[in-house]
This record gives sequence, C-alpha cells and structure tokens, in this order.
Amino acid sequence: MTIAAPEPKENMGRPEPRIDGRLKVTGAAKYASDADVSKPLYAVLLTSAVAKGRITAIDRTAADKIPGVVAIYTNENMPPVGEFAFFGAGGEAGSKAPALAGADIYFDGQIIGLVVAVSYEVAREASFATKISYSKVAPSPLMESEGVETADASDVSPRHKAISKGDLSRALTMSNVKVEATYETAAQVHNSIELFSTTCHWSGERLTVYEPSQFVTGMKFGLARQLAIKPEQIHVVCPFVGGAFGSKGSLTHRTSLVARASKLLGRPVKLQATREQGFTIATHRAETRHTIRLGATAAGKLLGYGHEAWEQTSRLDDYVVDGTGASTAMYSAEAIQTKVHVVRTDRNTPGFMRAPAEVPYFFALESAMDELAVALKMDPIELRRINDTMVNPANGAPYTSRSLMQCYDEAAKAFGWSNRSAAPGSMRDGDWLIGWGCATAAYPTQMAPATARVTLTANNAARVQSAVHDVGTGAYTILAQLVSERLAIPIERVAVELGDSSLPAGPVAGGSVTTASVGAAVAKACDAIRAKLYPNGRLENDMAAAFQALGAGSIEEYAEYEPEGLPKGSAAALQAGKLAIIGGALPDRTMFSFGAEFVEVRINARTREIRVSRCVGAFASGRIVNPRTARSQLMGGMIWGLSSALHEGMEIDVNTGKYVNDNLAEYLVPVNADIGSVEVILVPEIDTKVNPLGIKGLGELGNVGTDAAVANAVFHATGKRIRKLPIRLETLLDA
Amino acid sequence: MQPFLYERAADAKEASSSLARSAIEETNPIAGGTTLLDLMKLNVMRPEKLIDINHALPAQIVRVGGGVRLGAMVRMAEAASNEIIAREYPVVHQALMLAASAQIRNMASLGGNVLQRTRCGYFRDQTVPHCNKRTPGAGCAALDGVNRMHAVLGTSDQCIATYPGDFAQALMALDAKVEIEGQQGKRTIAFADLHVLPERDPAVETTLTRGDLITGFILPAATWTRRSLYLKIRDRDSYAYALASAAIVLDMDGIRVREARIAVGGVATVPWRARQAEDYLKGKVLDESNAKKAGEVAFVGAKAQQHNAYKPKLGAATIARALLQAKALEIEL
Amino acid sequence: MPDNNKPSQHIVHRRGFLSAAAASAAVPLALDARFAETQSKPAVRSVREWIPVNVNVNGRTQSLNVDPRMTLLDALREELGLRGTKKGCDHGQCGACTVHVDGARVLSCLTLAVMAEGKNVTTIEGLSANNGDLHPMQQAFIDHDAFQCGYCTPGQIMSAVALVEEGYADTGDQIREAMSGNICRCAAYPNIVAAILQAKSKMGA
Repeated sequence: MTIAAPEPKENMGRPEPRIDGRLKVTGAAKYASDADVSKPLYAVLLTSAVAKGRITAIDRTAADKIPGVVAIYTNENMPPVGEFAFFGAGGEAGSKAPALAGADIYFDGQIIGLVVAVSYEVAREASFATKISYSKVAPSPLMESEGVETADASDVSPRHKAISKGDLSRALTMSNVKVEATYETAAQVHNSIELFSTTCHWSGERLTVYEPSQFVTGMKFGLARQLAIKPEQIHVVCPFVGGAFGSKGSLTHRTSLVARASKLLGRPVKLQATREQGFTIATHRAETRHTIRLGATAAGKLLGYGHEAWEQTSRLDDYVVDGTGASTAMYSAEAIQTKVHVVRTDRNTPGFMRAPAEVPYFFALESAMDELAVALKMDPIELRRINDTMVNPANGAPYTSRSLMQCYDEAAKAFGWSNRSAAPGSMRDGDWLIGWGCATAAYPTQMAPATARVTLTANNAARVQSAVHDVGTGAYTILAQLVSERLAIPIERVAVELGDSSLPAGPVAGGSVTTASVGAAVAKACDAIRAKLYPNGRLENDMAAAFQALGAGSIEEYAEYEPEGLPKGSAAALQAGKLAIIGGALPDRTMFSFGAEFVEVRINARTREIRVSRCVGAFASGRIVNPRTARSQLMGGMIWGLSSALHEGMEIDVNTGKYVNDNLAEYLVPVNADIGSVEVILVPEIDTKVNPLGIKGLGELGNVGTDAAVANAVFHATGKRIRKLPIRLETLLDA
Repeated sequence: MQPFLYERAADAKEASSSLARSAIEETNPIAGGTTLLDLMKLNVMRPEKLIDINHALPAQIVRVGGGVRLGAMVRMAEAASNEIIAREYPVVHQALMLAASAQIRNMASLGGNVLQRTRCGYFRDQTVPHCNKRTPGAGCAALDGVNRMHAVLGTSDQCIATYPGDFAQALMALDAKVEIEGQQGKRTIAFADLHVLPERDPAVETTLTRGDLITGFILPAATWTRRSLYLKIRDRDSYAYALASAAIVLDMDGIRVREARIAVGGVATVPWRARQAEDYLKGKVLDESNAKKAGEVAFVGAKAQQHNAYKPKLGAATIARALLQAKALEIEL
Repeated sequence: MPDNNKPSQHIVHRRGFLSAAAASAAVPLALDARFAETQSKPAVRSVREWIPVNVNVNGRTQSLNVDPRMTLLDALREELGLRGTKKGCDHGQCGACTVHVDGARVLSCLTLAVMAEGKNVTTIEGLSANNGDLHPMQQAFIDHDAFQCGYCTPGQIMSAVALVEEGYADTGDQIREAMSGNICRCAAYPNIVAAILQAKSKMGA
C-alpha cells in the first residue's frame, strides 16, 4: 500500500483507486470545453471597464469591420427574455440582475456583451475593438469605503438567525480571563484550473449545454426559466468538472447569453471565459471582519462567547456567509451572543467557496481560543478539552457523534506536540524561527434529497446513474464501491454515469452532501435489487442462477432518498429543480464532522518569509467509504487552508473597484514547492443517527481551522499575533 | 490580440534591418514569446508585425578571453544548467533557476528575459486609463492604488512599476556587457546602461533604438565572480516574483571586502545597482553589523507608497542575509 | 459570414506573399524547402493571411493553415481535436497546457502555432504505448492518487515525464521545485511527488 491508500480502520471501506483514473491520466476525460460539436462559432465576453455608472455608447464600427465577426450582442440588441433569481433567495443565478438588461453597471467586470466570430482569435480581437463609453460614478468597493450600506443579516436572509443565550456582558464581567479582538479575512476566489466555459448546441427546439457544473439538475430548470423555455428542452452534459469549490453551483450570466446566441445564429457556439473574467463573472468568498469576545474562569471554563461579524456583499444581492450557527456549536459557553451585518459594496456578488462560512468564522474563533489559552497560560488543546461538549451549547441539541478530542489526541501524538516549548520564539533552527500551532476543524453534516437508478445484469455487471458530480472528490469511485459492496460484485464490473441532466435528479455537489445523500439513494436501489433477486434474503453465490429463477436478464431499480427533517416530497421537489439541504445545528440534533489540525511554520529570522514545513490533521467523519479519496480530499483541504492563511486574497483597487491581481501569477495559490509534509489521520467513528449510511461528509472539512492553526503557529514563532489574512512577511518584519 | 504579419529572420543583420526598415511602426521581434504573447493577449502590446528571431541570433555559450559570451537566444534553462556558469558564475545560475518555472525557462531566451515587462497590474489591464507606460501622460493608477509589489527605488511621480526579472540583477552585479546588433552595426555597452529610469517617459524602458537587437551578454573573466549568489525573497517558495532580491558578488581580501558588487531586484523600477552599499563596504570587515548597515545604506532615499512601506526594510534584510551567505561560501578557485 | 472558418482565399494568397517576402528580405519560413519553388508573383501581404504550418504531433506530420495568432494550444485542441491538453490560464501561469516540443516541456499557450514549424510535439495523447499500455508516469499518478479533478493532470504528467528526463528527480525537494510550474488547485502535490518518485525508477532514470 502507498501512503495514498491508507489501510482501512474500523468503519472504513477499501482504498480503491479511482475508477476514472485512466481517463484522467490519458487526457481522455471529457470536460465541458472538450465537447465535440460540429463547426462551432467562438464567443468572447465583453465585460465592463468601470465599477459603477452607465453605458452611454457602444461603438461597434471597428469590430463589425473585422472579417469573421458574426455578431455582437449587447443590451441594445439582446435584452433578457426570462426570469433570473438569486441563489441566496432560492433561485439559480449568481446574481438576480441578468446581463444585458440595461445600461447600468454594478461592478467592474460585469458581463455587458458577447462577441461571436468564426474563430477565437477574431472574437477576441473584436472584443477589444468594441468601444464602450460610460458615465462613471465613484464606486464604494471596500467594506471600509464611504457610501457602502450596512444591513442586519437577520433582516435580509431567511437562513440567518442571531443567536442569544444567557447574559453575555454579565458572563464577561464574571470571567477571570478575557479576550476581545478583531479579525479580518480576505476576499478569495475559487480559481479552479478549468476556466468557465459554455458550449451550446441547438437541435430544433432542443438545447444541449456543455458546461462545468456542480448541479446539472438545477441548471436545467434555472436555465429554462432564464430562457423562457421548458426544462424538458434542455440537456446539460458535464461528466467531468475541472475543479469547482463552490463556483459552479449557481449559474453565471454567460450561459443564457451563449444559448441565445447559438439559437439566433443557428450554429453551435463555444465560449471559454478568460482567467481574469473568472474573477468577476462568477462568485467569490466574501471578505469578513469579526469581533470576538471570550471570557473564561481561571480554570479555562468558557463563560461567555460573543461574535459580531461584518461580511461583504454586493449592491444587487444580499449573500450571507452565515457562520455563527457552526461557531457557537463548538464550545460549551454559558452565555452566547451573535450579530452579523452585511455590507453592500460596488462589487460582484459573493457566494459559496469551499467551507464558505466555516473558513472565516473559524479563523476568528480558533485564533481567539488560542489567545485565550495564552492568556490562561494553558495548553490550547487542554482549553478545547475543558470546553468540549456533547450538546450544542446554543440550544441544547445533542450531537449525533463528536470525536473532536480523539482527533486532537491522535494528531498531537503524530505531530509530537508534547515536545513543544510553549514560550513564543523559544524554538529555533539556525536562522529559522519555528512555530507550532493547532486549531479545530469542523463542518456541518448536511444531507440533500437524491435519486438514483441502479441496474444489475445477469452477467455480474451493474450500472449506477445519478445526475450528480465528481468534482474531484471521488464520487465515481465511491458510488461504484457502494454498489460493489451491496450487490457483491467486483468494482470493475460497476459502471457509473454522472453529470448529465437526463439522469435521475441529483443534488448540488456542494455542502459535502454527495456521498451521504446520493449514497443513500444508491444503497436503497441496491437493497431493492437484492430483495427481488434473493427473495429469501440471502446473498447467493450464483447470481446467474438467481436471475434464472427470476426469469429476467436484468433488474433495474430507481430509488429516492429524502433526508429526515425535510418536508415530505423533497425528492419530487428536486426533480422539479428545487433543492433543500438540511443538517448541522438543528433544533433537535447536532451533526458535524470534526478534525484537529497542527502546523509547523518556519520563519526566516532576517527576511521573515513564512514557510509551512509540515502539518498533521486528524479527522473523524463517520463512515469512510474510501480511505484513499478521503485522505486526498482532506490533504487537499489542508493545503487549501495553508493557501488561505498565507497566500490568497483579491487585491481590490480602492478607486476603481478592480481586482488588480486577477490572474494566477499575482493571485497566489501554493505551488508544489510550498508544500512540505502533510499527514492525514482518519479517526474511526461510528454514527448511526446522522443518516442511513452513517456518512458525515469531509470535502469541506480539511480547510477549516487551518488559517488559525497557521496564525497560532506564527504567534508561537514570533510572539506577534496576526489577526488579518493572508499573513504576509511584511507584518512580521518588526516582530 | 491584433492581427500581425509574421516573418522569420535568418540572421542578426537581417533581423535588425527588418525591424528598422519595417513600414509598419509597431514591429516587434519575437523569441520565446513568454512576455510578448502574454501582453498581446491582454491587448497591452499590439504589434502589427512580428519578426521571429529564434533562428537569427546566437544561441551558444562560448568562452571569450577567459570570460563567457551568452548568446541572446540561449534559453534560460540551458544557461542555468551550463557547468561553466554554475561553477564560475553562481549568481547567474541561481538567478536563472529561481526565475519563473521550468517550462518558461525552456522557452524564454536570455535576450528577451532582460527585456521582460513589468507585472504592474495597472500596466497589464488595458481598461485602466491611467498608465504612463502604456499611454504617456495618462497618469499612474498605482500611486494611489494597490502597490504592495511596486518599486521604492528609481521611482518617479510618473511610474513606480517594478522591474520583474532576476537574471538582470546577476548581470548588473557582474558588471556584464551587452552586445547589440543595430543599424550602425555591432556595439557593446555595459549592462548597467541598458535600462533607463522612468523619469520623463516610462514607456521607454531601455536605450535600445529601432533596429537594435540584443545578440549576447559578456560575463567578465575574473576569479571573484565565483563568490557570488542570488537570494530571492518571495511570497511563494517558487514560481513567484521577488518581493526583494539581491545579487551579490564579493571580492574579498581576507576578512575585508576588497570590492562588493550588489544589485537588487523586486524593489526598483530597473535592475538596480546598490553603489552606496558597495562603497560603504569597501575595505570593511564583513560582519553582521556591517552587513546590516550596508543593507540600510542601499535604501537611503527609497520612496515608499501605502502598501510597499515594508520594502526598504525587507530589501535591507535581504542584502544583509545575502552578504553574509556570500562571505561564508567555500570557493574553489 | 463565411460558412467555413478557413476561407480558401488564404491559401491562394499564400504563394504570392511568400515569394514577395523572399524577394525583399531573405526567406521567411526558409526552413521549409517547399517555398524554394514558389514563383514570383507580387502581392501585398495582409495581416489576415493565414500561414501554413507543418508540425509533427505524436509521431504524425500535420499540415495546418493557421491564423498567425493561433497558439499551439488552440491548434492542438481546436484544429487537431487533441483536447487532452488543457487551457487553464492562457498566460503561462498554471502549466495545464504543458506539452513537449522537441523533447522539452513548454507551455503551448505561449507558443504560436506558426513557431512550431518543423518541430516534434508530444501531447498527453502521445504518451501511452500504441497498445494502450499506460506510461509508467500515468500509472504512478493513478497508484498515488496524484489528482482529484484531473484537469491539470495532463500538464502535470507531461511536466513530470520531462522532469525525469532532465535529471532533476533525485529528491523530493528537487521534484517539488521542478514541478512548481504546474498548479494543482485540488492540491494533490504530495501525491504527485510520490508518483514521480515511483515512475522515475520504472523509467530507468
């Protein structure tokens, strides 16, 4: 076994290699932009050069003269025809304001047109040759800019509720030790390596869309509304997704434009947005500010926890990051109080990005917990142990399972935490200051309705179909494993079809719901097949004989999974494009995956560059179907966390609202050289209450808490507490 | 990208003539293309004619009178892996190896590399009107914009864009020379005379005129080139532009400095020679205190902006660290 | 609007422009022997003229006629249908488009197709054996789970194969540095390093 394929422990399946591996290593995996369409035209987006104001003129004279230009669509000749609804308000779109609806500009890089030509080269040339004039208004792009509007998140989002328990100010007054501090996180963008692409092809009144998506079912219905056509007319195809991380769950406005252009022109149209356009045409992780107040007894028992936050959103849509539900469930404080504000800026609307709420909120909470431990002169692990809880302190609802301290203990042992010298700056290796830090990772276990079809044939082969996605998570392999285990056939004999809207409806590949939810539907279908094939309840050795006795060559079963707690009919609603997700901190139960992350930073004593030489994370997440893909998810997650802590941040021009570093050379994510040793420990955990398969989800667990683990390690190395992300060397030059 | 005519030149003379006599104003040579195509795709550079010089200019590394001539079309990777360079000019080897990525080093020519354009985000974004480098007289959006990566040395109220390369600092610190083929024939200038400060017209970045092509670089024949190194401080551990870098070439007389040659990158608008620091070190014992002082001296007169106020301090620390490392090198002569 | 993406008049114009250019200043495309025979027939060159390119891709000679602006990446994907090579940034910042040109790993997004004239290009499709056997690097990537979404993977593998041949794959640190031109947003980096170490021994390096 390689390190990549950990030996399964209790309640873990086999570390099967990915069944789609061969396609991916040979270049044969068909991503959306790889679709074969006959004689396509090529489209390029026009985006606004200003952040606020109006388009006053569109001069296409020069562009029209370029040989090979076929069409230029703007608000003047292709206004929207259908309905657009913001995903945060139950809709499908990244923003409620459709492209080309009018002359108004709401943010820099807003889609304002589409150029179509016979080649990509000509289309791009024509996009530069189309001259747009604007009347400009000074934008308010930053949360600190004059002219922003602030609103109470409870007033603008049905999802968000302020939490209040006990008397926080009294609890803080009673506390022996207090921490009050303000933390800042940066605006980040997903930057999947796959660009945002759309290829549309009409056959009569039927539209085929090749587009990378986390939710083809949602796209089919949402795009139908946007185009004012019937959902049955739309077929979305995307068997492989080149990274998503939350960016491909809602629709960008490019899709409807390409679809309409293709219809009008009677030719397939291919669009591949540029890397820099990807910063503004889709969503991003909002920047946030947090004021944390913690108070504890001298023994470390938390008495009060206050969390007030401010989150960036746009003028158009009120996206709420919503992290206090998770943060307040962590530690047993007597008094809890939260308040969240959204700050409307002249920027594009933010949205989901891998652990959307937990990343910023846990940076604040877990940094503050470390500050409290320092103030208490207590080991930070012990502070978590003292305040560990088996109920959600905010509402008393019990955890279905919680293995946080097992994670801490295993990770601490592997990391060698007992060798830590607690005083800041006391560990040094020549010219390098060494710092060790740790933090809690947690992610709500969430479920969504799902449907799937499984077919078993007498020749010992099975096929599973569901309109869900393997965005790199391993869903293809995991679903094959579930069928292989349930129907006792070799995994090589299981074919998996995903990522196609003509398959049984599936939920969004987001919120870490896929394995538990789609797995539950697949398991149900498998069980129905077994019941038919083996009426006596025993799994026979001779499947062929069982089929013969049944008098059939194959059995096909369709099954639906509806999560407990959702209104009945949630699967039917999904089939109509309406998705509900449930989980996390509920009134009657509390469901989270947990982990503990340990990081070693090395900071040059002279020049202060920060490197992470090793990190160890231990995670408990209920049943682990495939330890290989689980480890990879968690490892990638931790590296995402390091990236967030040290590198990522959109640089926003205060005057123009432009993202100045809108490329992969200046918006930094780690390269191979940045990553030292990353150790993942899978902690066995059994949870029989959380969902039928006892799976808690881990795709978004690994990058929670890492920010704080790094910041805590930086403090340990230097004695300087950095409360703003990303942590860069200039903040340490004085330390 | 604008459409362009594409031609291949057979030799330096022809390439120079094609450039000088082109009826088309916007004619550019293209070698590796790693900067030019990048900026053409952004509509920032808009040549109407490209002269492919890959087969026209020297692509060899040869000994000349004890020194070395690097042909302009030698790729960065080839120069980096050359044994003579690695042994006798470690600062060149290291500057090349710490630049860009392996793929880009396989593509980019040495001649093109020293002409690499700035990474200033306002220069690279053609929707930003205020850039004196793109549109002389239009102003500079970086002055009151995002300027964490920008220069603190050699700036003006016209432009604070950082020169982004690494190899050039090594050439500066080695007192290297540049060979140029032009309409008046061949000439050789000091590398230090190649780049010009963005004082009056930031669009003009070098002393090259129409028809001039860099054909090679001459590294000096000397033993002191061996006590040299390049230190690059950056946010990422690889494939990132310098926040500050230092090319150090030390000529030691026992524990004392006979002559220090220091060039800094990531902090200046052009490849920057830290002459004040060199003068300060002359004849001194290279200890911790003098190394630090030399670093500080190098940034006397630095002009910081809102987000790059850390650069003088970082640059000074980078020089100090690099000096002490260079002093500690064990050199085989 | 032309029905065909490659209007035929470009081919007609080609002979004229080449000979005209040849008369004035040496021979553009001089490496191509075919042009020695072109007859002089003065014509004004247009920037919109397409240019013929002969390039060997995965062992087969391909004759293309391309817009001079077309990158090798777009030529591979759109003209030759070799879509294993991916566009991730189009500016040389991510490495997803890495291919081998005359054995060296380069970025096809920053290479003009016309500049690949006469060169040997290998893409991910040309890496495995004709009988379908995977290259040791491809198998190692599967064994070590060295990818998640898979989009950057062809570029990673092409880079990794070249890296082993360059002789920079002796230690984990060397590999990490030399693979830093290939961004993996899923962050499979440690697995990529492990895969290269495995493949290296099987490649006889």
